[in-house]
Amino acid sequence: MPCTPLCHHPFYIFILFIRWCCMNLTATGEGKSMQKQKGGLAITKLRFVAGVTVPLLLYESLGIFVLGWAFVLMFFDYSSGRVGGPILGLGGSNPFVGLGHFIEMIKGTSVEANLFRVSLRNTLVFAVAILPLNLVITLPLAWLLESIGRRFKSLYRTIYFLPVLTSSVGVALIWMSMYDPQAGWINAIIRMFGGKPISWLSDPRAGFAGVSVAMWAVILAYLWQDYGYNMVIFIAALQGIPQELKDAAMIDGANVWQAFTKITIPLIRPTMLFVCVMTMLSSFQVFDIIQVMTNGDPGNQTQVLMLDIYKNAFRYQNLGWAAAESFVLFLIVMGVTLFQMRVLRTDWEY
Amino acid sequence: MKKLMFVLVLASLLLAACGGADEGPAVVRMWVHTNTAFIAGYEPIIAAYEAAHPNVDIQLENFDYELYLQTLQTAMPAGEEADILQLFGTWISQYYERLAPVPANVMTVEQAKQTFYAAPIGGYIVNGVLYGMPQEFNMEYGGVLVNKTKFEAASLTYPPQWKTMDDVLADAVALAETDSAGMMSTAGLHFTAADPISASFLAGIKQRGGDYWNADHTGFTFNTPEAHAQLQWMVDAVKVGAVDPVVFNDSTNFVIDAFFQGKVGIGYIGTWAIAEGQANFPDFADEWDYIYLPPVQGDPVFVADSGWGLTVSPNSKHQDVAWDFVKFITADPKNAAQWNIASGTIPAMPAVAKSAEIAAAMLWVPKALDILPYGEYLGNMPDRDLVMYEIIYPRILNALQGVETVDQALEAIDTEANSTFK
Repeated sequence: MPCTPLCHHPFYIFILFIRWCCMNLTATGEGKSMQKQKGGLAITKLRFVAGVTVPLLLYESLGIFVLGWAFVLMFFDYSSGRVGGPILGLGGSNPFVGLGHFIEMIKGTSVEANLFRVSLRNTLVFAVAILPLNLVITLPLAWLLESIGRRFKSLYRTIYFLPVLTSSVGVALIWMSMYDPQAGWINAIIRMFGGKPISWLSDPRAGFAGVSVAMWAVILAYLWQDYGYNMVIFIAALQGIPQELKDAAMIDGANVWQAFTKITIPLIRPTMLFVCVMTMLSSFQVFDIIQVMTNGDPGNQTQVLMLDIYKNAFRYQNLGWAAAESFVLFLIVMGVTLFQMRVLRTDWEY
Repeated sequence: MKKLMFVLVLASLLLAACGGADEGPAVVRMWVHTNTAFIAGYEPIIAAYEAAHPNVDIQLENFDYELYLQTLQTAMPAGEEADILQLFGTWISQYYERLAPVPANVMTVEQAKQTFYAAPIGGYIVNGVLYGMPQEFNMEYGGVLVNKTKFEAASLTYPPQWKTMDDVLADAVALAETDSAGMMSTAGLHFTAADPISASFLAGIKQRGGDYWNADHTGFTFNTPEAHAQLQWMVDAVKVGAVDPVVFNDSTNFVIDAFFQGKVGIGYIGTWAIAEGQANFPDFADEWDYIYLPPVQGDPVFVADSGWGLTVSPNSKHQDVAWDFVKFITADPKNAAQWNIASGTIPAMPAVAKSAEIAAAMLWVPKALDILPYGEYLGNMPDRDLVMYEIIYPRILNALQGVETVDQALEAIDTEANSTFK
């Protein structure tokens, strides 16, 4: 077999070495198992552990290192522009601040603290709005799609899923053109009916239900891109419900709505848990679509935590602060996920 | 056989180790942000330098702006940055610990001050040490794109003969248009993007006799009568209908895009916008020009960032070559002029700005010659971008859009900007 340049890569050589070790373990294990079955099982387990653990360590080591570095940074006022102390640039002009960043987040008056609190509020608004809206759209839609004939089912499913496959930047640009205050077709329709056009992405005064119009505009764009994903998951869950249960409900006199609420919803609770957790996770981490559409404007009304972390880390070189913000985001996401798992968990399978 | 192989391998390794490190050309890597016009300016000068120095190979590498920032921030702590780094002068106060000082035999601080305008060189001097050389006078203050076609359609005098800012406002109001639904379709004077807002606000404070620095430059003083008067003037300009800051700002209808799409009569923007506008909107048919505004009062004093320039990494193995090239491209009048013409930027050196070559190629530069000497360096701040883009711009825009009062905006600017001095 001809050797490609990859063969000379140290990582490739290392993988070959691991493979060789595993093969040796296997061979040794097979030899011994002829003598002692118990010992053979032990060797097989060892092979399994080696086979699984070594790639896992390789895969995770870089991630663990980065996470560890971020964990350390959040206790320092660290900027990559400053040389700092002799050990990893920590200390010196990058001083240790302990829990200073977290105290500042809670009661500070600096621009970073103000922006953090605004970003946190906006992130919560975004996530809290996205989850119910997404469920209200995707679940009934999935149920309706399940009820139509097979001929059109695939076609509709494909059409609804297409936005998921589109890049967030592309989606953002499409919606920006629609929201354009002068040339966008949304305002064109408003003008057609004699209404007053709105600057959807740049008017800080306009709002609905206590949330700015710009935030609603990005929520709508995000929903449009994201709903196809959950819909496909719900379709799969609906297909897994045994037909006998639905038939039994109908025989007992249940109507369509009762069958949906009493049979379908309880049986797809595990799927709902998955959808809720994943939707919440992704909405807490929303970044690209907002960065392109508003970059946090108008007046920071769409500034979310991920965008704030990005700006602090890479625009203002405030890496220590950004690491502390990331840790807060991690705690929030973990807390919300555990809460959802507690509320929506089921103790049964069907 | 094995012994023979071992000897051969050992011998080849020894030969490789002894190989002449000095035999090849000195490879000097140079990092710049992606800007087509800037790069077009660098390439012929690099070629000329390499022709004059056959033992030097300068490798130009460019990065998209955001990626460039990230690359600098990760490469510099690791000591893996290029030999020559293009930096924005005002950033030097944040990066100077990771930059090599300019050797005295290349240029002293005093020589630099005599060679360049005060505003461009100011950022490259930190604690009395020179860390690089500027290539441009980054002047965001006072320059405007004017649409001749719109002036003539509105029966206004062209070219405008503005003596005061009231004259400018009168023309702006006449140029502004709204559609049938009441939304502004043409901005008379678009000054509501981030850079124009910051530049005109700071210049207005200076021209009114105030300052935004405290006496020893350890903090800001934004809550002053001069700052109040300037911000009130800007709010009044919105009130009389010169521009709608909700429809025209940094993220919606940015000055360059809006001007070259025929949505702006007078567009407040730096000269760098000219090359970008011409490149991005080649089909724009209206006649236009670039001129300068009068001061709000007194002399046209203004503050400016130190623009783009070149620095050298302390980790470079060829610092002498790197500095020689930096001086060749930035301080040699012929090369500096060539780069300024290609990049469409105002020269950082008075000698170049006043040259016939520049006057012939860049018609707007001679118009700025009377103003340029009034330019002062912005001042070294802990975080210039944070102050400009997260504090001054959004707070003033809030005041212009009616979300905050003038007093509230100034109070917030003062508090937040001073909090950057930790």
